[in-house]
Amino acid sequence: MSKVATVPPSPLRAFWLKWRFHINILLLLVPLGFMPKYFADAALFRGDTGIGERVAGQVQVGPWSLTLAELRNEGPRPDPAGPMKLFNAALCDTCTNQVKATYLRIGKPRSLRAAGVIFFGTPYRMGAALPVPERTPVDAEVWVTMEGWDGSMHQGSIPLSQASPATIAWLNKQGVKP
Amino acid sequence: MSKKSRSKLWFLVHSWLALPIWFFVLIVCVTGTLAVVSQEIVWLANPDIRASKPSDDAQPLSFGQVIAAIKRDEPQAIVQSISRPDESHFALSVDLSYPDGRSVEVYANPYTGAIQGISPSFNFQQFTRALHGWWLVPFTNGYSWGWYLVSLLGLPLLASLVTGLVVYKRFWKGFFKPTLRFRHGARIFWGDFHRLSGIWSIWFIAVISITGIWFLIQAILGDNQISISSEPVVPVIAREKVPTSGPGVPAPMIALDDAIKIASQRIPGLEASFLVLPFNAYSHLQIGGRGWYPLMFQTAQLNPYDGEIAVTNLLSDRTALEFVTESMRPLHTGDFGGLWIKLIWAFFGLVLSMMVLSGLLIWTKRTALATLNALKREAKTQRQPAPIPAMQAETSEAQR
Amino acid sequence: MTFKRLTRAALLLCAAFSTTAFAHNPMCECKEIPGEQIQCKGGFSDGSGAPGVTLDVIGYDETILVPGKLGEDSTLTFKKPAAEFYVLFDAGPGHVVEIDQADIQAQ
Repeated sequence: MSKVATVPPSPLRAFWLKWRFHINILLLLVPLGFMPKYFADAALFRGDTGIGERVAGQVQVGPWSLTLAELRNEGPRPDPAGPMKLFNAALCDTCTNQVKATYLRIGKPRSLRAAGVIFFGTPYRMGAALPVPERTPVDAEVWVTMEGWDGSMHQGSIPLSQASPATIAWLNKQGVKP
Repeated sequence: MSKKSRSKLWFLVHSWLALPIWFFVLIVCVTGTLAVVSQEIVWLANPDIRASKPSDDAQPLSFGQVIAAIKRDEPQAIVQSISRPDESHFALSVDLSYPDGRSVEVYANPYTGAIQGISPSFNFQQFTRALHGWWLVPFTNGYSWGWYLVSLLGLPLLASLVTGLVVYKRFWKGFFKPTLRFRHGARIFWGDFHRLSGIWSIWFIAVISITGIWFLIQAILGDNQISISSEPVVPVIAREKVPTSGPGVPAPMIALDDAIKIASQRIPGLEASFLVLPFNAYSHLQIGGRGWYPLMFQTAQLNPYDGEIAVTNLLSDRTALEFVTESMRPLHTGDFGGLWIKLIWAFFGLVLSMMVLSGLLIWTKRTALATLNALKREAKTQRQPAPIPAMQAETSEAQR
Repeated sequence: MTFKRLTRAALLLCAAFSTTAFAHNPMCECKEIPGEQIQCKGGFSDGSGAPGVTLDVIGYDETILVPGKLGEDSTLTFKKPAAEFYVLFDAGPGHVVEIDQADIQAQ
């Protein structure tokens, strides 16, 4: 005991001993700080605040149309399969029974098979994770392909800059990749 | 190292395990306890979630009948999934998609199919789980760091169980001679309490810490894209297996109750307790429920147009490793055998919370005293700046 | 993005999760290997392999040059076609990865 007392504590150690229990306060601040975000997200997923954080607009697809929205007003998020941007959409009132499937792709699809990612969900609220390659040109178009129950196919597009300005900002920040 | 100094070391380790973050550990224990019985708390608070029988001889409806009733009452809404909670006093949970873009859980009466209410925007059950499970830290890229923060506690928890048992010599004697001394002051009482509740919670602390460590491993595996699942990935139905029909006429699907019948024939002993309707025209219908092993679910994915079973994930399909890993979550939450198991889990969760608290009380009572003494002595001898009272107290405590 | 393998418990938990974190996004990579050959490997973003999944080599004129399925090791090797082509990893409608010949790294 006396031996310990004669050893002068290092400043780092003294700092740790003085402040270590304040870690509790810091840790408690974490959920408090995230609480508004948690409830905003809960409302977003419930759809209390609409189909997404930012409605991009209507996309006309042949005789049909849909309302496209960004789930979050932000750039793509990293994913093992490459950066992904989440879009939500709602079909037009009259086309819920007409449209068999809706797809999303950056650039015009070569075929129905290669139409891009498929939307999951109901005609009132559906979502798709769109892969956004890092070297996507900023003037790219987002193409919506719809397939009818009779096998018919229609396409329409919206500029990426209109669909998601945050993605354009993200692309500009990435810079030109070789 | 002598035997004595080794046990001192163990004691020191044990008393230091949760200390700097004791309040965090306490809140995680308390929220975990609440999360176990969160469904029951909602049941008490919200009459909409109760399954009231319209008459004594009322029979529960089939899923198909319930969905038909919902379609009748809410022709615009689309049913996304339906599930029958384990306990029959709960209403059915149905996810409904409304034309205004809302996608919400509603409570349906199991006997009439009537929608009794829409889940409130504050979901107590989900909130307590999110607070306990990941400290509300959002998931942005893989698992949230809050998930890691909480699941890391499994390690000190397991370590404090082991060191506690090492320090508490011949702990098994406590089973035969339980001591809880009330009249010898708070320090003695909390010490007895800590030891007594400790030995009776050995199994529970082991379960919670090991399953907690599993959550950590699960996150590490998930974030590194390591899959241990034996279930084949069949993301969608092949294009040629989905029929085309006339314009504006969706291809007809088989009746839900027929689909359940098909799945039950294929999976003997399946009690279909939930149904996930297809997410789009190329998506399977998922039917699932428990089998003979209460800790795991079995599922079948059917082509909704012809009833063909595309993928099954049965108990017999699981590897031995999956039996272990998939049992971890229900063992942690206690939601695998009805109300009584939940109540046992909640009780021991409370005991564990009290152990964190009593451990701290013991520590402060000892340390406060020892610190005071140490300070007095120091004041006598010399004026030394920045003393390290707590650490001294700790060491002196261990040398006691 | 598929939610297929989520158990009911996970489904409940996931309501507040990022939807991509637990998804099965298709993934595919191709590279040139010695002998004028191209090797492609498919899989899903959770780390699962994709044995038996279709991988077609398609000409710019949309004719299928090499119809194929991934082997047990989730790979497929084929001779580099003379005509312009792209590779389509096709795990079903809306679950495809397209790789243009220009994006296939040379040896």
